[in-house]
Amino acid sequence: MIPRCSIAIARQDWRILRRDPFPVIVPVALPLLLIPFVKPAFQLGFGAEHIRHTAGAEQAVPAMDVTFAFFLVGNSSIGFFREHAWRTWDRLRASPASNYEIVLGKIAVPLLQAMGQFALLFGLGVLCLGLTVHGSWGSLVAVGAAYSLYLVAMGLAVIAICKTYMQANAITNVGALLIAGLGGALVPHAFLPAWARVLSPAVPSYWTMSGYREAILGYGHPLVNVAVLLTFATACLVFAALRFRLDDTKIAWA
Amino acid sequence: MFLSETRLKRDPVETTSAPRRRMRPYTARAPCRPALAMAGVHKSYRDVSALCGVDLEIEPGEIVALIGANAAGKTTLISIAAALCRPDAGGVWVDGVNMLTHPKQGRRSLGVATQETGVYPRLSVRDNLRFFGELVGLRRKVLDERLESVAEAFALSAVLDRETRMLSVGEVRRLHTAMIILGRPLLLLLDEPTTGVDVRTRARMLELVRDLAMDGSAVCYSTHYLVEAEQLGASVAVLHHGRIVARDTVQTLIGSYGQSAIELRFDGPAPQLVDVPGVQRSEAILRLATDRDSANSVASLFAALGDSITQLRDVKLIQPNLESVFLALTGQASSCKDERLEVTGDT
Repeated sequence: MIPRCSIAIARQDWRILRRDPFPVIVPVALPLLLIPFVKPAFQLGFGAEHIRHTAGAEQAVPAMDVTFAFFLVGNSSIGFFREHAWRTWDRLRASPASNYEIVLGKIAVPLLQAMGQFALLFGLGVLCLGLTVHGSWGSLVAVGAAYSLYLVAMGLAVIAICKTYMQANAITNVGALLIAGLGGALVPHAFLPAWARVLSPAVPSYWTMSGYREAILGYGHPLVNVAVLLTFATACLVFAALRFRLDDTKIAWA
Repeated sequence: MFLSETRLKRDPVETTSAPRRRMRPYTARAPCRPALAMAGVHKSYRDVSALCGVDLEIEPGEIVALIGANAAGKTTLISIAAALCRPDAGGVWVDGVNMLTHPKQGRRSLGVATQETGVYPRLSVRDNLRFFGELVGLRRKVLDERLESVAEAFALSAVLDRETRMLSVGEVRRLHTAMIILGRPLLLLLDEPTTGVDVRTRARMLELVRDLAMDGSAVCYSTHYLVEAEQLGASVAVLHHGRIVARDTVQTLIGSYGQSAIELRFDGPAPQLVDVPGVQRSEAILRLATDRDSANSVASLFAALGDSITQLRDVKLIQPNLESVFLALTGQASSCKDERLEVTGDT
């Protein structure tokens, strides 16, 4: 059962998000705009791999989801940093909410955002962008959920080590491109340089992309991929639990 | 009395939590259990000692004004009482609950308004209040009713649906304090709640604090403004270099430590008077304590002025007050002395 204080905190974050939804709209709208541009290139990639009857959306939609969802790591951290900026963090800590309830409440909205982004991109992908899911939707959702969990866990790990929002933002921006690139979200994995293909399994995006690919193309059930993503998420949570101190002073913007 | 119709009555709180977590009227509480008890509290930041063996008890319905100069340890004391930071040694109990071992349980009985105002600027006043009501577990109906009454008590009804960033400084201060009142906590920790507000808002805040204490809340009220302690009818704890050097009612402290004085203000630098013992000189002011043998002291002071008397601009007789108590105990003037004089005109 979700603790009452966590629900109250998540509801408050939702109110804030409703007042200013722009940070959520952009990571969803931008990939939707980009997908038509990258689809043909990905279709050529499938052709080179001798995979026929694809529109390119089978690679473009998951690639954009993986890349832009990573920016939610920044959204997760900003939920904490703004409490420091508004001087409400100590008020939360002085409330009846325990440390665990505060953290649970703060990650709830980013987790919903990640899942919402996944649902919107894949839903609109099917409806408007020519995406066809040949395999299991259940497997696809499982990979999306595991990646979303990893993202919020990564967000906590980032908050644990960053003193300022600018540090968290820098990690998010660089991490998004690096992880997307190594994972085969910017360029199909088969076309990556050999050294990058060796490094790929070390990043969660590789397991997400390959999991999506298996589910979409119907190559099987990506159980291993989900398990690996959950392992990454657990590692981030353990790291955050060891490093994150709620009484740390965070500097909001610089 | 603007609170006459909207008085914040301390009645049983309806919450979603278990019955034992409900706040009860004080008659139902165990006797002799202080709302706040601190014993032997020590706290250091690296090699700087912030609190050195602080003992403090506050009973339900009591207001304790915590006064001290900057860096005396007031905010540290409040942070430790609220379990926002741990002491290096000592114990803290809120309504009998050990805050070091059961902080979550203890926090159900307290409300903290930190020194810096903490509100959600993009949300309305209503949403700010609602959030803190939800955090303490108020049901929707109770929360709605209480939100209206608290808003009225704090003169925020007219701005309930306004974004907080659009409020005046005084309104934000009131909201900041109102947010902790929704749960009707047994113990209120108010850290300099009137900083930066105008005289009218300050008077309103003081009246609210008095009313909350009358309804049974214990209040720990940290302030630089000594006059507030007097206006609140509070007992006083003087904190100096991390130690509570005096803890009693204002009248008792004045009786024990207060000194009357005569203060002479000059046009230009005050003269040096080597023949009159006990005269304090500060730029254009001479001050002489007049607690004993006043007539002779004053006479000798004026006699010693000589030709300087032509430069004399103003003479004030200062009655024994909390300011002089503070001066006697800490050896330094309150940082808000001028404001005090301006507000009270007690010369």
